[in-house]
Amino acid sequence: MASSTVAVIGGGPAGLAAAASAASVGADVVIIEKLGFLGGRPIEENYASITPYLRSAEEAMGEVIAGTLAYPAVSVRLNTTVTGCTGEPGDFTLALDGPGGAESIEVASVVVATGFQHFDPGRETQLYGYYEFDDVIALQDLEAMLKEGRVTRPSNGEEPKRVCFIQCVGSRDRQIGNEYCSKVCCGVASKEATEVRLAVPGVEVFIFYIDMRMYGYWETQIYWPAQEKHHVQYIKGIITEVLPKDGRLLVRGEDTTMGRPMEVPMDLVVLSVGMEPSPGTRKMAEVLGIEQNRFGFIEAPKGPLDTVATSRAGIFAAGASLGPADLEDCSSSGGFAGARAAAVALSARGALR
Amino acid sequence: MANVTAHPYLKLADPAGFAEVPFDEKKRLIDKVVADPRFPHYLYGCYECGICVAACPSARFYDFSPRRIAQAAARLDIELMFQQMEEDIWECSQCFSCLRCPRGNNPGGVITVMREVAVKEGLHSAKSALEGYSRIIYKIMSTGTQVSPDMLQPDAFPDWGPEVKDVSENLALWRRALPPETHHTTTTGWEVADSTILELYVIWLETGALEMIREVDAGIHMILEEIMEERLEEEGIEL
Repeated sequence: MASSTVAVIGGGPAGLAAAASAASVGADVVIIEKLGFLGGRPIEENYASITPYLRSAEEAMGEVIAGTLAYPAVSVRLNTTVTGCTGEPGDFTLALDGPGGAESIEVASVVVATGFQHFDPGRETQLYGYYEFDDVIALQDLEAMLKEGRVTRPSNGEEPKRVCFIQCVGSRDRQIGNEYCSKVCCGVASKEATEVRLAVPGVEVFIFYIDMRMYGYWETQIYWPAQEKHHVQYIKGIITEVLPKDGRLLVRGEDTTMGRPMEVPMDLVVLSVGMEPSPGTRKMAEVLGIEQNRFGFIEAPKGPLDTVATSRAGIFAAGASLGPADLEDCSSSGGFAGARAAAVALSARGALR
Repeated sequence: MANVTAHPYLKLADPAGFAEVPFDEKKRLIDKVVADPRFPHYLYGCYECGICVAACPSARFYDFSPRRIAQAAARLDIELMFQQMEEDIWECSQCFSCLRCPRGNNPGGVITVMREVAVKEGLHSAKSALEGYSRIIYKIMSTGTQVSPDMLQPDAFPDWGPEVKDVSENLALWRRALPPETHHTTTTGWEVADSTILELYVIWLETGALEMIREVDAGIHMILEEIMEERLEEEGIEL
């Protein structure tokens, strides 16, 4: 017998939006989450606040989780992964591996919302010393610090006098193979730079960039206030290497628009790492038999006007499993994918008009 | 190379040859610029698009860039702003073409403020920039008109051609040929009413313009003070 259930794989921002969307139009939903909690990266990586309004990530995601779980038709399986998928739209069988051991469930359609992982800045040959110097950290490390209400140098626990962000780490790089722009790092770095300026009196904050990409309203929500109100210094020019010097970190680069080389000592260097497909996204593409693009994200073969259909009918994708995405993208594509998956489920039980 | 790390963005230890000026003094001057009430309205933030440079006539003739002015000011780069006060700001023609900035910045306005501080503080650059203008400063402040006909001597303006000689030899006659009677003058650009002169003197005095001249050209200041003192005293105004 055909099922009327939508399976949502991944309980982050996109998966929660998909689940709420499918449930709101009458489908049964099961959220399958690998970890022991919902909320995705913002919770797993201890984000302090979400872009652009600096709202507490825990509070904002808490509301989304509560809103999704308020639908009686939504059930959740934590600590569970999908290990197999057979069948066709309206009649899929998913093999699961969870706390109760292996089992299989019948579902009508699937939404993949398995997201991204932060680029590992130690993976390639960049000379930033992420694993070498304590005071070289990444965006998510600073988020976790801000969540604890402090900004300090990991090496000695002191407040930094000068902090810089290096943009496009792991993005827009042919040598690394990630030629795409990760889309959110400009905004997130500017947001964190603002938070650092607010947290540490008198701290100087620099952002070294190739292009600042703060599309739409982020221009005046994040970029201009960071520069005009909080005096974050934007320098067009990317750091070539980070060197230790007299207990500080010397960053070397070119101040391109001023036309001069620069060597500036920093107390804390934050690498604006980009997005890569999460291991879960790569794994699910394989298990579900859906195409990936050359970067490993899930391919949306129908292009810009149908952003959530995958190469396999009845299986949709949402959020950062499709490529770099901000939270607005995740809730939008999540809602769209949820509705599309619900249409398959409702039609399977003959309830779709 | 030591200073490179001490001061960000500084390529050379002594880029403009002003090393004798201590950092604290540079900071004091730049603080005056930043404290000017106009400054926050002239400078928001710069994303370095270069539209001001593209529009700037001076940028076509000098190594001058209103973008660099805005950037240095946005970064509050003391060393660079001081260097610009000693060099760049005097290459601006104050035409304000840079006002087309999409961020709403006014690099020319920042330069106005920097020039005022440079003049009031008697910076070397202000003195040398205004050196060639001492006669014009004298004329405009004492008479209210800038270039007077008797300044047009052939040796002063060789590039104006042979007719300047004819005109200068018969200057009074040529001037009388002009229809408006107020232009029948040779030592001033036009006839200036005594009440206007008095009003101007009061303005120079009250606005501090006379004091500014003291810093950049003490000789001219002394002459002007003498001229003005006499006329102002007749009106019971103490210099």
